[in-house]
Amino acid sequence: MNPRSPPPTGSVSVECGKLQYSSHNWRGTQQRAVMCVCVCVCERERERETYLPRRRALCGGCGGSRALDSGGRCVCFSGTMSPVRALRRCVFLLLVCVRSVCALDSKASLLVAVEPEDPKCFAEGMRDLTCFWEEEGSRSPDDYAFTYMYQETNEESSKCALTAQSVGGSKTRYICRLPSVQHFVPLDVSVFQDGRLIYNRNLLIDHVFLLDPPANVTVTQTGEQEQLRVCWLPPALMDMENSMMYEVEYAPTGSHMGKRESVRARSEIILHSLQPDTRYNIRVRAKPDGLSYSGYWTAWAPWVSMTTPPAEMDLLILALCVVISLILILLSLTLLLSYRRFLLKKVWPVIPSPENKFDGLFSVYGGNFHEWLGVGNRGFWWSPTFLLVEESPSPLEVLSEAGFTAPVPVHPMPFKALGLSKKEVEEDERTGGQDSVLMGRRKGKAHPHWVLEQLQSLDQPSVPCCELHTLEPSDTYVSLNYRSQQDSGAMSPLADISEESLPLQVLFESPGTPTSFSDLESVTYSSGSGEISSQSSLEYPYGAWPLKGPSYISMTVTDSGISTDYSHMSWGTTGLGDLAMAYTNEYKNKVPAPRLPPHGHTVYSYY
Amino acid sequence: MLQAKHLKILLLAWTRLGLPSPLRPICDPRVLDRFIKEARDTEFAMRSCSEGCSLAEPLSVPLTSVDFAIWEKGDVSEPQKQAQEVQSGLWLLAQAISAVRVSITSTALHSLLDNSHSNIHSIGQVIRSLNFPEYTPPADGTVHEDTWRVSSTLELFRVHTNFLRGKVRLLLSHAPACRRDST
Repeated sequence: MNPRSPPPTGSVSVECGKLQYSSHNWRGTQQRAVMCVCVCVCERERERETYLPRRRALCGGCGGSRALDSGGRCVCFSGTMSPVRALRRCVFLLLVCVRSVCALDSKASLLVAVEPEDPKCFAEGMRDLTCFWEEEGSRSPDDYAFTYMYQETNEESSKCALTAQSVGGSKTRYICRLPSVQHFVPLDVSVFQDGRLIYNRNLLIDHVFLLDPPANVTVTQTGEQEQLRVCWLPPALMDMENSMMYEVEYAPTGSHMGKRESVRARSEIILHSLQPDTRYNIRVRAKPDGLSYSGYWTAWAPWVSMTTPPAEMDLLILALCVVISLILILLSLTLLLSYRRFLLKKVWPVIPSPENKFDGLFSVYGGNFHEWLGVGNRGFWWSPTFLLVEESPSPLEVLSEAGFTAPVPVHPMPFKALGLSKKEVEEDERTGGQDSVLMGRRKGKAHPHWVLEQLQSLDQPSVPCCELHTLEPSDTYVSLNYRSQQDSGAMSPLADISEESLPLQVLFESPGTPTSFSDLESVTYSSGSGEISSQSSLEYPYGAWPLKGPSYISMTVTDSGISTDYSHMSWGTTGLGDLAMAYTNEYKNKVPAPRLPPHGHTVYSYY
Repeated sequence: MLQAKHLKILLLAWTRLGLPSPLRPICDPRVLDRFIKEARDTEFAMRSCSEGCSLAEPLSVPLTSVDFAIWEKGDVSEPQKQAQEVQSGLWLLAQAISAVRVSITSTALHSLLDNSHSNIHSIGQVIRSLNFPEYTPPADGTVHEDTWRVSSTLELFRVHTNFLRGKVRLLLSHAPACRRDST
């Protein structure tokens, strides 16, 4: 109950009798009362309000029940109340404890655990020696005799005055403190009990040092990562500063796994490889190094705490990372740019364009195949009947075997053209087969039955091979000679195009206007390359054409697509740019150059 | 065959001739630490000595005990006396070791004995380097200081170790020549 607060309603003022402490024969036992308090008397016995020891007190509600008016009661507690008792004892110890007694207690307990021999002796400085042993019971120290003798003296052994000290209840510790000591000489110690020797020991005093723990242990940050510096004071004994070794134990706070490091002759150490931003507990102990002086490990110095500096991002590393990432980005960009065409090709594959097989099909005629074939006259050629008849649209092989009369001198054609054309011929034969009804274009649609006539003509018995060599101008044949048809006006656009685009135009003119073979020889075309192909085609019937069946109609046509490969296509600059632009949508791979190169390069060079 | 007498003469000659002075002061404590360590090893080896390890006649050895209360006073008032004490003690020990070497038969121990003897000689040189007055061993073989008598080699080398650890080490570590050098 808070004394300051107003008493709750229903509180009763009680007065305890004389509060008594110590030396009180409490409840008939020999126990000494340690604390007496004034207690309320409540209706229910268990519910009690206890107050600090005051004679008068206010008794409030006893938990739940009511406080009786009969007043307070003095209740004393026995020595089993450990916290209080410990406190009192500690106070007593602080007041009474002499430094040597206190120190002896801790050191003695330390030594008992380590040294097996009796009596246990230790030196705290350069001029003292303390020997003790512990025994059960509590006999007077007069029962014992402690004698000691140095080896090099011829004197009798000396006697040491013993003092007794009770330890831990039943034990007694007998202590001897030598007034003066000699080092580096064996000391012979004997303990007698009632005249009887119980202990004997030979020791060197400079070998039994048990000093105080290192003082003034300080832990500081070194300024480096994961490091701490630990400093302490070496023992202030003469000649001992250089003969000490130390042990440092450190562990993160809360962890039980401590690490130990040893140091010799130096009174500071730098701990490495610590966790960053962690609080470490560190303690130190000391021991003579064993060369000149020897002894026992001192007690541990009290724990000292320090936090390691937090891990920081090294600026250099950060800068390096940024630079490296920039370099990588630049490299990837460069790669992308240099290979963008390749990548684009992979990502967006090229749609093959038949542009180069059909010269001018797209550029001039805008994809109108009919027009491209024959300026609108040969539309019927693509009528379904023809399509059905022929199986493959390309290489046409039409050979008219009917009545070749006029021999055509064989010109020494450029062999390469010949060779090529021969290949083409073979190809044509393979593909053309029996379909070779494609007779080329015919001028106008005035002769729809022209083909039928041809077919009929071919049904006639075959003409011997030799006779095939002749061509009659009156017969329908395919030749690339369209010279008579050459019309500068109408043909000028076409003149720029390869002659292959109009291979059959000539042939389907009216029989009344046959073209003379003599013209074939001197076929000249605006596109010079066409000459080669055209002439080569004419060679076929006179050359190595393989004999086929009489019903085989083959028309020599050089497919424009085939021969275009080796022919130069001289493109005029007229209107081509616009035409080229027309197809940019269809063929993405086409270089969308707004202006074609001025001197007739092959446009489609990317195949 | 090398007799003790010859050894004595040799030792005297050595100490007389010695190294040309002045020597640079040898102040490194590790020098003596090594000698102490070897003396300890020799003492441990002597524990296993069985033959010829008990001496026919007792040998004189120096006193090793150091009372720091008295010693500190002596260090201030009579520093030369301490040096004399140490040097005569070393001389006695050398004598004793030479005598023991004759009687011991084990060759392994012989090497240890020789090592101890040379160490004593080196310590003498160290002391000389620290500008202590030269020690002249007495001609009659007896020393002025108090001595002790030992009757076994084990005791002898125990004394030898204690002497090095105690008096010699204190003398060297508190030598004025070294104190002037170090701050």
